[in-house]
Amino acid sequence: MAKYVIGATGALLGVLAGAWLMLAPFALAYQNSGADWADPTFVDFWTGLPLLVVSVVGVILYVSGLVEELRRRGIMRRPYAEPAGQPQAPSEPSDNASGSENNMEQVLLPLVTAMLKDMQERDRGRSETHQETPNNVQQARSAGEEGSVRS
Amino acid sequence: MAPQARGGLIVTVVGFFAGIWLFLAPFLVEYQKVGQDWIDATKNDLWTGGALMAFSALTLILFAAFALRDAARAAEQKNIAEAEES
Repeated sequence: MAKYVIGATGALLGVLAGAWLMLAPFALAYQNSGADWADPTFVDFWTGLPLLVVSVVGVILYVSGLVEELRRRGIMRRPYAEPAGQPQAPSEPSDNASGSENNMEQVLLPLVTAMLKDMQERDRGRSETHQETPNNVQQARSAGEEGSVRS
Repeated sequence: MAPQARGGLIVTVVGFFAGIWLFLAPFLVEYQKVGQDWIDATKNDLWTGGALMAFSALTLILFAAFALRDAARAAEQKNIAEAEES
């Protein structure tokens, strides 16, 4: 990760050097404004301009590398990341509209999962009580019958 | 190596060669005569070219050093993971 920061800093210095080279002939007054450009002006300007452009590209590349690294390490979130195991359908015109629905689903998914778990646990509890109650009923009935005989 | 890193390195190398060019340009383009006092343009080109070469070289060296460190760490972690699996 540090390598990208160092690279971006170096490229940024390249941008500044390129900008300085373009301005230097006028700033140091070895090129009079309005006069034909002298050889030093040509050299400085046409070295500075490509250097500026190339260094801007370098800054973009290093920063994108840094962002990629941060995403790979989980420090930064990937925008519009799809959850694992839910492949998205190929893009259709209605996809933009359904994007917010997908987000809503992602938000609601843990809640629904927790609810389902809760319901399953309740069902399990009920089935266990059902297994216990027929015996209890039979016992109660037999006790009732015995009582009726006695009376 | 990531494609962004490769592209960035190429840009840094281009910056280094631009520095060399700026350093030599006054004499190659012959707006600075050898043996005479340096004109303002020559001084500017030598200082800018020198600085460009210096920080491009520094960037390349540091980038290589940190890339090697990352690679060594990744190899260590891989070895540890393999040892835990076996």
